[in-house]
Amino acid sequence: MKVKLELFGANRDLSDKDFIEFNLESKSSLKNLKKEILSYVDQNFKGNENFKKIIETSAFCSEDNNIIYDNYKITRDQKIGIIPPIGGG
Amino acid sequence: MLHAKVIDIKKQKIDLEKANEFISSSKFGASIVFTGTVRELNENKKVTGITYDSHDTMVIKSFEEIYNELDQKLKIKDKTVFIEHVKGYVELGEISIIIAVATPHRAEAYIISRYVIEEIKKRSPIWKKEHYKNEDSKWLKGNPIQTN
Repeated sequence: MKVKLELFGANRDLSDKDFIEFNLESKSSLKNLKKEILSYVDQNFKGNENFKKIIETSAFCSEDNNIIYDNYKITRDQKIGIIPPIGGG
Repeated sequence: MLHAKVIDIKKQKIDLEKANEFISSSKFGASIVFTGTVRELNENKKVTGITYDSHDTMVIKSFEEIYNELDQKLKIKDKTVFIEHVKGYVELGEISIIIAVATPHRAEAYIISRYVIEEIKKRSPIWKKEHYKNEDSKWLKGNPIQTN
């Protein structure tokens, strides 16, 4: 199953593109995706602690623009947005 | 009545005149136009500009929710609200956000203006990357998004 993780704010530093693609096993959850993102940082940024901290404090949103939580089931290919700590205005 | 928009600064301008036009009505006796601008100093560093990033759809959704709360939570029924926030690079002194409000009396206008900006800070997925005089730049820390 493919998840296209859309990047915003500080998380844009994780890739040259606006997104990162992850391949997840079927019947995965958001919690599994978070683990994959953290291991992506381990592999590509030598476990950069700043990046990891931002990921751990990020929220996530579904394609229909709702905030989703660890138990959110990922049962098909989809886009998920990662929302780092905010500060507009 | 609500106007809510994210302005991509590469394609459009954020425009105070448009805000004033939108809230103008003879049924309202009070209006407040709040603007946020890029200031020159942050944490003792000289700022030259800010790049704003946004999740546009969720930002608009948050603006609409905040507007609906003016009625549901604050019980202010009669009002017009204009909210625009930029995305992209904004230079020192330029406007990043406009919140224009009109109500029959001043008390409600002050309440709405303050409520809207404070809730945007807590709930609207917008991010700032500051650019400094030494050509360095940094995403600001921010706070985890608050959800209802």
